[in-house]
Amino acid sequence: MTLLARITDAVVGHHRALVLGGVIGALWIAPGYLGEYGAQILFRFLIALVLAEAWNLLGGYTGLVFLGTSSGVGIGGYVLVGLLNHSNLPLAIVIALAAAAGAVLAALAAPALLRLRGLYFTVGTLALAEILRLLMINSDRLGGATGLVLDRDPPELPGLLHLATALFAVGAAAQWFVSRGHVSVLLRAIRDDEDAARQLGVRAFRVKLSVLMAAMALMAAAGSIQALKLGAIEPYGMFGLRWSVDALSMVIIGGIGSRAGPAIGTAIVVLSGEWLADYPEVHLAMTGFLLVLVMRFAPRGLVGVGSALWRRWRPGRAQTT
Amino acid sequence: MIGPEAIANSLIAGVLLGGMFALTALGLSLVLGVLRLVNLAHGDFLVVGAYGGFYLLALTGLDPLLGLPVVAVAFALLACPIYLWLVRPLMARGVEAPMMTMFGISVVLQNVFLLAFSANTRSIETSYSARAWTLGPISIGWMYLIGFSISLVAVGAIHLLVSRTAFGRDLRASAQDPVAASIVGINVARVHTLTFALGAACAGVGGTLMGLAFSFTPASGAAYLLNSFAVVVLGGLGSVFGTLVAGIAIGVLQSLGGVVLGDGYRDAVALVVFLVVLALRPQGLMAGRR
Repeated sequence: MTLLARITDAVVGHHRALVLGGVIGALWIAPGYLGEYGAQILFRFLIALVLAEAWNLLGGYTGLVFLGTSSGVGIGGYVLVGLLNHSNLPLAIVIALAAAAGAVLAALAAPALLRLRGLYFTVGTLALAEILRLLMINSDRLGGATGLVLDRDPPELPGLLHLATALFAVGAAAQWFVSRGHVSVLLRAIRDDEDAARQLGVRAFRVKLSVLMAAMALMAAAGSIQALKLGAIEPYGMFGLRWSVDALSMVIIGGIGSRAGPAIGTAIVVLSGEWLADYPEVHLAMTGFLLVLVMRFAPRGLVGVGSALWRRWRPGRAQTT
Repeated sequence: MIGPEAIANSLIAGVLLGGMFALTALGLSLVLGVLRLVNLAHGDFLVVGAYGGFYLLALTGLDPLLGLPVVAVAFALLACPIYLWLVRPLMARGVEAPMMTMFGISVVLQNVFLLAFSANTRSIETSYSARAWTLGPISIGWMYLIGFSISLVAVGAIHLLVSRTAFGRDLRASAQDPVAASIVGINVARVHTLTFALGAACAGVGGTLMGLAFSFTPASGAAYLLNSFAVVVLGGLGSVFGTLVAGIAIGVLQSLGGVVLGDGYRDAVALVVFLVVLALRPQGLMAGRR
């Protein structure tokens, strides 16, 4: 093999990494070119995309339908505001600690959540989210129903966008890590037939626990950056069911099990949310309706619909099929 | 300090409340046991029942208790198209797909309530809803007694339906092994549709009763769902008696929790019980005692 062919191979083999690197580079310099409004939407999109990717680790790669996104987001937000108000730790450390809090919460809840698979896991995650919300509403030391206010000024929007971009890069790396090699085989084995996987020596509990901790850490980090932007948090918002609805819907609507799916689903949900900004109930009802329709008619999401259409209408293929 | 009267009152209220919980949980448990479907919209079906009772009284003046048979039939009829069009086509794709569809329906219902009925807290005001029956220091709300009695009758009727009738035999066979059941000539598809309809009817009746006993909001569904699910997990699947006992246990725990910890923690009690049971004995405390 010539050197040239080798180089071409290496480039083609890693073109996804290159594309991703290009996207991240573009996002990094984007704040300078976007207006205030565009930057706001980009921020919302990035936070939502991280949540969708974290959900996809569980729902898409491991087959665990998760309804506890709000518990991760809420924990992250509260840990960030608490730490920033009561310590002088640098911001990066605080966000890392918020992510760690999400992972610890996952580890604590795992004995209850992961003992039974499938249906009970899903309802258990919903219960966890509700418990945390009730605790926050009722505990006066943590601000009760009115919540907490950040003592210091949050960073400007470009700084927040850089944080969100960095987190997106971490999320993309996690996605990349679980979608190749040994790890992807483990996850697929557990998703498709957990009993058979156990028989072959897969430590299912450990693998699922690791994925749950990673996903919750990402969700908590996203929640902490969201809280940093808001500057004031309250339990109804930070622990609201809405986060859980969005994360699940974005992945399912875009297309579960595909890489582009979560990004496309996130774009649809975030942009339609912007369009219906004055009618949040209409937006949520519409998202739920779209979710039901996609489940029924397009099991592989809009990406699946798109690729099926592409295959049918691609020029030159029409006669042969 | 909490006096003995308060404890006794909340114990009695908890038992009576638990009967209603048993009825709502039975709807969830039947669908889970027979169809392997977690109806994540179950709580919102209950809220539909509560609004149904509210508007029945407000618009026609008909007492919600007299309207219960109408509510049951209406829910069963409305549930059939949801099942046939949206859920059944997904059943072959595993247990998660239909569950996520029910989640989508739950999200739609919740937000339609918000749009149609506003976020206001509602309660159904009847001549008996605020009245209580007093005996010395003990006082029991009439609505609790009525709700408990109706729930007990409904739970008993479902028990007879499942254990004594031909349909019940088909239902039990389909729950145990749908393939074998269809081989011996049971129309499993029909059993599934009817079970889903029966579950919805339980939710409708239970929801109207809950709406009479408590105030509710468009967002009450999540708490109702998790409460019912706690009862199902505690009582184990497939046991009507276990569900009744578990319902009463959760009712008592909630009532006592509300008195001891404060009203804000009422709903949290059932959730904690639920997670603890899942962690310790995931097959349910009373499983194995059919």
